[in-house]
Amino acid sequence: MTTSSEDVLLAIKRVRQKKQDGILFLMAERIAWTPEGKDRFTVSHLYADIRCQKISPDGKAKIQLQLVLHTGETTNFHFTNESSALKDRDAVKDLLQQLLPKFKRKTNKELEEKNRMLQEDPLLFQLYKDLVVSQVISAEEFWANRLSLNSVDSSLPNHKQEVGISAAFLADVRPQTDGCNGLRYNLTSDIIESIFRTYPAVKQKYAENVPHNMTEKEFWTRFFQSHYFHRDRISMGVQDLFSECAKLDDKGLKTMVGQGVKNPLIDLTSLDDQTLDEGYGVSSAPSSSGCTKSVKETSNTAIIKRFNLHSAMVLAAGLRKHEPQNEQNSETSSTDGNSRDSDFFQPPLKKVKLQEAIEYQDLKQENGKKTIALTLKKSERYSHGPVPVQSQPYTTSQDIINSVNYIKHEMDNYTPHLNHVLSSSAASSAITALSPGGLLMQGGAHQAINQMVPNDIQSELKHLYVAAGELLRHFWSCFPVNSPFLEEKVVKMKSNLERFHSSKLRPFQEKVQRQYLSTNLTGHLEEMLQASYSKFHMWQSKRMIRKT
Amino acid sequence: MKLNIDGLLVYFPYDYIYPEQYSYMLELKRTLDAKGHGVLEMPSGTGKTISLLSLIVAYQKAYPLDVTKLIYCSRTVPEIEKVVEELKKLMEFYEKMTGEKQNFLALALSSRKNLCVHPEVSSLRFGKDVDGKCHSMTASYIRSRKQQNPGVQLCRFYEEFEALGRQVPLTAGIFNLDDLKAFGRQKGWCPYFLARYSILHANIVIYSYHYLLDPKIADLVSKELAKKSVIVFDEAHNIDNVCIDSMSVNITRRTLDRTQSNIETLQSTIQKIKETDAAKLREEYSQLVQGLKEANVARETDVYLSNPVLPDEILQEAVPGSIRTAEHFVGFLKRLLEYLKSRLRIQHVVQESPPQFLKDIYEKVCIDRKPLRFCSERLRSLLRTLEIADIADFSAVTLISNFATLVSTYSKGFTIIIEPFEDKTPTIANPVLHFSCMDSSIAIKPVFERFQSVVITSGTLSPLDIYPKILDFHPVTMASFTMTLARTCLCPLIVGRGNDQVAISSKFETREDIAVIRNYGNLLSEMSAIVPDGIVAFFTSYQYMENIVASWYEQGILENIQRNKLIFIETQDAAETSMALEKYQEACENGRGAILLSVARGKVSEGIDFVHHFGRAVIMFGVPYVYTQSRILKARLEYLRDQFQIRENDFLTFDAMRHAAQCVGRVIRGKTDYGLMIFADKRYSRSDKRGKLPRWIQEHISDGSLNLTIDETVQLSKHFLREMAQPFRKEDQLGLSLLTLEQLQSEEMLKKITQIAHQV
Repeated sequence: MTTSSEDVLLAIKRVRQKKQDGILFLMAERIAWTPEGKDRFTVSHLYADIRCQKISPDGKAKIQLQLVLHTGETTNFHFTNESSALKDRDAVKDLLQQLLPKFKRKTNKELEEKNRMLQEDPLLFQLYKDLVVSQVISAEEFWANRLSLNSVDSSLPNHKQEVGISAAFLADVRPQTDGCNGLRYNLTSDIIESIFRTYPAVKQKYAENVPHNMTEKEFWTRFFQSHYFHRDRISMGVQDLFSECAKLDDKGLKTMVGQGVKNPLIDLTSLDDQTLDEGYGVSSAPSSSGCTKSVKETSNTAIIKRFNLHSAMVLAAGLRKHEPQNEQNSETSSTDGNSRDSDFFQPPLKKVKLQEAIEYQDLKQENGKKTIALTLKKSERYSHGPVPVQSQPYTTSQDIINSVNYIKHEMDNYTPHLNHVLSSSAASSAITALSPGGLLMQGGAHQAINQMVPNDIQSELKHLYVAAGELLRHFWSCFPVNSPFLEEKVVKMKSNLERFHSSKLRPFQEKVQRQYLSTNLTGHLEEMLQASYSKFHMWQSKRMIRKT
Repeated sequence: MKLNIDGLLVYFPYDYIYPEQYSYMLELKRTLDAKGHGVLEMPSGTGKTISLLSLIVAYQKAYPLDVTKLIYCSRTVPEIEKVVEELKKLMEFYEKMTGEKQNFLALALSSRKNLCVHPEVSSLRFGKDVDGKCHSMTASYIRSRKQQNPGVQLCRFYEEFEALGRQVPLTAGIFNLDDLKAFGRQKGWCPYFLARYSILHANIVIYSYHYLLDPKIADLVSKELAKKSVIVFDEAHNIDNVCIDSMSVNITRRTLDRTQSNIETLQSTIQKIKETDAAKLREEYSQLVQGLKEANVARETDVYLSNPVLPDEILQEAVPGSIRTAEHFVGFLKRLLEYLKSRLRIQHVVQESPPQFLKDIYEKVCIDRKPLRFCSERLRSLLRTLEIADIADFSAVTLISNFATLVSTYSKGFTIIIEPFEDKTPTIANPVLHFSCMDSSIAIKPVFERFQSVVITSGTLSPLDIYPKILDFHPVTMASFTMTLARTCLCPLIVGRGNDQVAISSKFETREDIAVIRNYGNLLSEMSAIVPDGIVAFFTSYQYMENIVASWYEQGILENIQRNKLIFIETQDAAETSMALEKYQEACENGRGAILLSVARGKVSEGIDFVHHFGRAVIMFGVPYVYTQSRILKARLEYLRDQFQIRENDFLTFDAMRHAAQCVGRVIRGKTDYGLMIFADKRYSRSDKRGKLPRWIQEHISDGSLNLTIDETVQLSKHFLREMAQPFRKEDQLGLSLLTLEQLQSEEMLKKITQIAHQV
């Protein structure tokens, strides 16, 4: 069991647990403690099992760290290294702080995911009941290759709706005074994520500076001290880390403004018919006093600008997820040269907006449901369907209409030629031949099994098939057996199969026999099992030969 | 449906009709029958435009000799385009019902910026640049220069139009701005000049106010429109300001500096021409001697802006001798400029009337009244003679000469105020000369006199009787219509107190009070928690909003609001605000919900509708009084009192309330829409304020909702919103606020309908 998950991230000596000195290890997936001089972990907790950590307050004589598990148990560690106890403890605390949330989410997510899968897929649920609940295989085995399968396809269609960002995420980091002339900002990983998503510039700064130039803590301290965060103060410090971000933001705002608005009805710049020249009018002309604004006024303007930007960024961050896809779409549509074609079907936005603006829903007679306009990239393809690229003569719609008309015409003028019909005996024999059981209707015997076997047996059989399939899949996936792990597994699977055979299949067979159903329903299942048994025996005999 | 409006067959392009639309058409018909003017207030969102168009088109068809043309004036470009779209709908209906093509021409006219199709010119951003560039490619003297010098760049669209466009005039069809452009591109004709040419014989013209009210433009564009036209001013609640703006001038030090350089350019150009082509100047001189007014010879493309004064004030005589030669005129301009410069060098505020000003200018620099009156005309003649291509560069000197003409033409209704600095910044010298029109009736007078019927209409015109007073005309009909509602879809509430019982008000003494600001903040944050989708909040002024936002920020109120909704704020930059608006709509659209903080009298409050979920509540923080310390305003109030017997307070309240009504009216755009209207100021409960709100809002203010606390407001709002969120179907409305043709024809209904209109 030596995998990468056992990499030791941190080892702290002289940590006392239950009055015994020892070494505390923080590994990738668990925290463990071994008493001095031994090489066994007497305490070991997976991070996923830990609910939270607690530390003794500063200034206490004993420097301790407590882990609270989900089960409610606690474990205390006492750091006893005189010179560096506090530092050690903080190192552990910081590392745990980073690690715990990751695992917390993972476990919850995993459970949720499993739950969801079982709920969404009744077949799987049945299988779960058949195999896990009846203890044919363990739950771990059951999920072992399910989840990985699922994580692949879940990445394709993103079922989960992206959670937006609260507009007030910065409000949650309101500073609190800690009593001794300092400020404390409470920063959670959620808030950090919100900041990064909303302000990509900050994220970039973070990537550039942490951890090469400064620690994470230092970074955030600077962030909250910066004028960038307190935008109402006029920026003065040149070497402010975030002055660049501010510039980037301003630039972003400018480009956003420069892009203009798509909806012409709300474009304030072109609202007026601008015929009043500069210098006319009662309201005094745009005065040249732009520079005379007081400091307070400019800071007020800055706040307003900042709110607009912030809201726009939050809004954009919520939508950003979809963008790449859209971009792709627009790219493809423009490359295949059909963009004009699709334009043709959509009236320009301005027209739509104008129509919307003058519409009175209630004055109109409702005529049917509102239809949705068809957006076609290639109208031809739509009307003719996907045909192989051949120079076939098209049937134009006119042709079709003509021929329909022609047929109609024919039908109208149809008069039966009564002397040219079949004789009655020939007709009745044809009908019998075409009736069920008739001469021409044989070969439909497969369907008969549906009717012969009662429904409950059918469904039971289905379940058996699914369960057997699942087990066989596990079994066959072990081949070729090239590792000890697989060897172990294949033996286990073989016994699983046998167990299945005896505890599930046999009773079913007996039941079928009791009901005197002639058809051999389980023959195929038996065959499959036998095949796997023989494979196993072959493998086993080979191995014996190799071993001897 | 086909309606019988007092004996007139009206095609109405819908299957149902609101009772108030029927009533509105009746009133309108009476106005047209009497060949008089009318003032009609109809709630927004009740299909005012389509009723208006339906009736007038029907009238035109029935009495083609009595009403030859409809001139529909609206305020903004989108508004104009909306009207044309509605007209298109009507015409389609006509065609469907009669089964024949209608021989009917209607078109929208806008500035070159919105109509130009020239690839280079239309890409310019500012209207002024487009005009200037267009002029430099189409003026007659430039086109004649082409013959000698093939390198001169002309506009091929104009050339094509000039060659072919006039022979085959547009005959039938409805042309929106984009249609005109498409048509122009297809034919290779200039859409702008095509439109200007076509309005002369079009049945319906739709353009902005300025084309009728600004004498500089009206003279160019609308001079030849038929007398038997019906004029409609839609969204006319601010029409007096448009009138005043078009005749007022501001001169700053920067204007004078630019004038200086303009004059220098003129001088050097004259010098150059004198050396090369002295005959040209002589020819101009002799023309001026003969009193040949340039209007006779000028082509449509040559004139950039016409005379700033009204047509009947323009002197029909020859230009006086003192400014006839080009050099003398330039000298005259220089003297005028120096005089203005000296006037701007002051330390204290000066206010005087035009006669005083004329007297002073005569004493100081010996400039007579008469040459001053000819100043703008003389300048235009000179610019044309000098063949100056880029007239836009000469806007400063044009402004000065327009000012000279105006100040010497009108002795009444105007005032001159010279301020050495802005009130807010008394230490920084920034002298401005305001030549301000105080009488809005001056600019609109020729319109009332010339055209047989002028209809002034809007969603918010209350109190109706003040408009005839300030515009000085006698309407034959004045009516305000209520909104028939199957469910009360608007909910006006007046919040007078905070939960701490502190009165909230934006009045000057308490507006900076921290308790008031906090209560305003509480109101907004409470509302943000209960109102779905969009909330729009209006402040009384931009500065006030800035201050409040800053203190809300400091108090952490904005953060609380952000927990519920995104916040967007109007700025003084139009492009930035547009972006904020778009994002606001996006946030409403995707369900996040947003708040837009905006300013009464700002662009948003004037031109943007917040239909349905874009505005479920509007909050009016304070009463939007104008800045009362402004001297221009004081002068105007004085004038109104002396001239029209309107008390200062009445006018101020009227002005504040019409803007408040505009703001809150933005949320209701139809009977299926619904919205809260929250007036957050104690003063709204007083009857002198409340009484000036439009009837259709006023009648829904109950006595119980006059002085609410924030908590009570929240309770009432919750109740209202829950009620409104119930499904609302057509059947609920039918027979009450929505009628079929049969229902409309019943006796009982007709009797009810007569009660909708309230005559004043």
